[in-house]
Amino acid sequence: MTAAPGGETSGSGRFRLLATALAGRPLGVEDAPAADRPYTDGVNIFVGPGIGADDQRRQVVVQAALLGAGSLEPSVAKALRGRPRTARRYLAVEGRRVLADVASRLGGLSLTVGGPVISATVEESLALALGRGRLPDPPPWFGEIRPGRLLGPAGGPPASAPTPSDLRAAARLTPEAAADEDDEPGEESKLLKLFQNPLAKPNALSDFVARLLGLSRSPAPGSGSSGGDLATAAARRVRAVGAHARPLPVPLRFTGDDPPDRGGIGGALYPEWDVHKTRYRPQWCRVVEIPMGPALDVSTGTAERDQVLHRRLARLGLGPKVLRRRPDGDDLDVDALIDLAVDLRAGHSPPGHVYLERRNLARNLGVLVLLDASGSATDLDPAGRSVHEHQRRAALTLATTLEELGDRVAVYGFRSRGRSNVEMLAVKPFGHRFGAGGRAHLHRLTPAGYTRLGAAVRHAGELLKTQAGTPNRLLVVLSDGFPFDDGYESRYAEADARKALEEVRGDGVACLCLSIGASTPTESLDRVFGSASHASAAVLSDLSPRMDELFLAALKELAAPNPATRRVGVPRSGRLRS
Amino acid sequence: MGVPRPVGGEVAAPFYRPVGDEVEVFAAAARRGLPVLLKGPTGCGKTRFVEAMAHRLGRGLVTVAGHEDLTSADLVGRFLLRGGETVWVDGPLTRAVREGAICYLDEVVEARQDTTVVIHPLTDHRRQLPVDRLGVVLDAEPGFQLVISYNPGYQSVLKDLKDSTRQRFVAIELGFPPPEVETDVVAHEAGVDRDTAAALVAVGQAIRNLAASPLREVASTRALILAGSMAGEGLSLRRAVQSAVVDILSDDPDLAVALSELVDAVLPR
Repeated sequence: MTAAPGGETSGSGRFRLLATALAGRPLGVEDAPAADRPYTDGVNIFVGPGIGADDQRRQVVVQAALLGAGSLEPSVAKALRGRPRTARRYLAVEGRRVLADVASRLGGLSLTVGGPVISATVEESLALALGRGRLPDPPPWFGEIRPGRLLGPAGGPPASAPTPSDLRAAARLTPEAAADEDDEPGEESKLLKLFQNPLAKPNALSDFVARLLGLSRSPAPGSGSSGGDLATAAARRVRAVGAHARPLPVPLRFTGDDPPDRGGIGGALYPEWDVHKTRYRPQWCRVVEIPMGPALDVSTGTAERDQVLHRRLARLGLGPKVLRRRPDGDDLDVDALIDLAVDLRAGHSPPGHVYLERRNLARNLGVLVLLDASGSATDLDPAGRSVHEHQRRAALTLATTLEELGDRVAVYGFRSRGRSNVEMLAVKPFGHRFGAGGRAHLHRLTPAGYTRLGAAVRHAGELLKTQAGTPNRLLVVLSDGFPFDDGYESRYAEADARKALEEVRGDGVACLCLSIGASTPTESLDRVFGSASHASAAVLSDLSPRMDELFLAALKELAAPNPATRRVGVPRSGRLRS
Repeated sequence: MGVPRPVGGEVAAPFYRPVGDEVEVFAAAARRGLPVLLKGPTGCGKTRFVEAMAHRLGRGLVTVAGHEDLTSADLVGRFLLRGGETVWVDGPLTRAVREGAICYLDEVVEARQDTTVVIHPLTDHRRQLPVDRLGVVLDAEPGFQLVISYNPGYQSVLKDLKDSTRQRFVAIELGFPPPEVETDVVAHEAGVDRDTAAALVAVGQAIRNLAASPLREVASTRALILAGSMAGEGLSLRRAVQSAVVDILSDDPDLAVALSELVDAVLPR
């Protein structure tokens, strides 16, 4: 093998496929903290760092083989919990048993077990371990069994998704340490602050105490404009959210009677789908388009070049285009043929490029990139970039690439503060060049407010229909897939967003939803984006290699089969291929 | 474009080891002239199966490999320029229709969908091929049979057979053969002893059985035969598997190293 097993260690991750094969389930291999002995939690195997690959390999093999042989099932782990001596004895017996079994199956593993195999089944091993007979110690590289870790939350998926009440309970347990930093000195007492924790809202006791103490929050200076008391649910910043993470349902309160009005600019009213009553709420959301002013600093905002994306999107052909005078093709190009005949008679011998070729090269594509500019996209990833920053970069790269390819592109950001104030930030409308100014605007777009996705999608669809001016229209939604606003949460919001996407697609606008850098679970994206094409990745370049497929898949579903044009050889300019 | 195989006994029978009842199903379809859809992962023996069946049925075989620029003219034929005049040249499909041969369209899903519809009139009761450019409609000879192969899950999201095309076919699902059969196949095709073949098949099994595999593809029978052939040429088994399986399955260096570790554990010392 060129990989030279047995050489210097090159990261314990190299054993993950071996571990997966032995255990019969997906397993990762990670370095254990120094001084720890190797163990597994059922999801990862932790091996000693900085030791030779051979040592790591046998550590991995024994742990993975234990998992694969069912030696660490919950019933066994429960029997071993709190009994370190028994666990050691069990490991000594069972480890040798499974290793002997593995060694007989896999000829390439040269393992010296160092002791006799004295049991035949898991039960027998457990009985021996629980008994009093003398047993040989396990060699150090067997590591140890940690029943607590095996039975812990990492040991498998939780039995059921946590309910909102579970989340609230967990949120209440969160230490308040971070709140101190936000406290303005002397404004209010720590005690009152405690009772004001918005997460504790459903708690009847705190409500009661708050009323008893006459607690009412005075409007912050300068409020009364937009915003108001935007208490959010995030209590603790984490690097990655769990599988069931979602925003807590928290009522939003505005300090004024009504959210501020944006008089003068106007705005479009859109209905919203009420999933509970299965009907539309007519003229429910007002979407206001906000033009971006002149850019102050045009030096910022350079687009990252993505060659893969460029190549892929360049391949996107949406309609057949007839190429004349080709060296090869389906039909003869009569003009070229006549020219050729004339030339031949006249004594020239030109190349025989006399064919017509039909290739899918015509594009006629209008794309609107709808960028989530709401506050929910501010979570940081391990590299310190926020989801919003990822999405912003993705929008910039996508829009630049598409514009270079000659498509009509628009970029809009959206955020909302209640149903009557959904802002569409016109970073780059159709028909404008995406110059330095537009890029600087995009670069300076700071996330704020909430995500009323449905209304934004409806407005974007309208823009595409009226302003794109191309037969093929595509809406690219860059969002983390957490629609959330005042009176717009969880199932209601997801259903409305899905409905909006369906409406837009029903009107002949293709939809592609990309979740870049967000850790939203796939099921949640499925619920929000429904049957619209969607994809998620850590960075845009992960999706670039299949962006043409994603685009085409989104556009293709709109191409209704048309029997009249099905006959081979009939050019169908401006149609998608069906 | 494939060359029609001469009909008769001059060619040695292609080696094919049946796994299930696919031979009977194919033969029944062939007797009625019904089109056949072969499904199965890449390198599991679809092409070899068709070759073996064509030989067994004593029919010619015309093979066309599908690609995304395959046009109907590539299948039906086109006018070519010869000297001062144009000459019609039959495409492979037209040739098979005229000769009554089996026409095997390999990975037909790759072709443009307007191409696949030219096979429609051939796949129903009409058994006709309209050749628009000549203004004629050809009736298929009795021995003509259309066979297409299809690799579900392998193609991109876009490439799927249309339902109107699918429902014209009799499907035969081929998978990787069970270990004993695969060992025979690898030993025969690569010309290695059964122990070496069994070790290679064990590698294939280990890679195919990986839970939640990060690999796009698994080690096919064909890849194992390649590895066996390399080993048959004197390479060490590990080196042969490294070059014919591991480095083929992944370009990601980390993944390749992880895969080598697995292979190393499976292959005997």
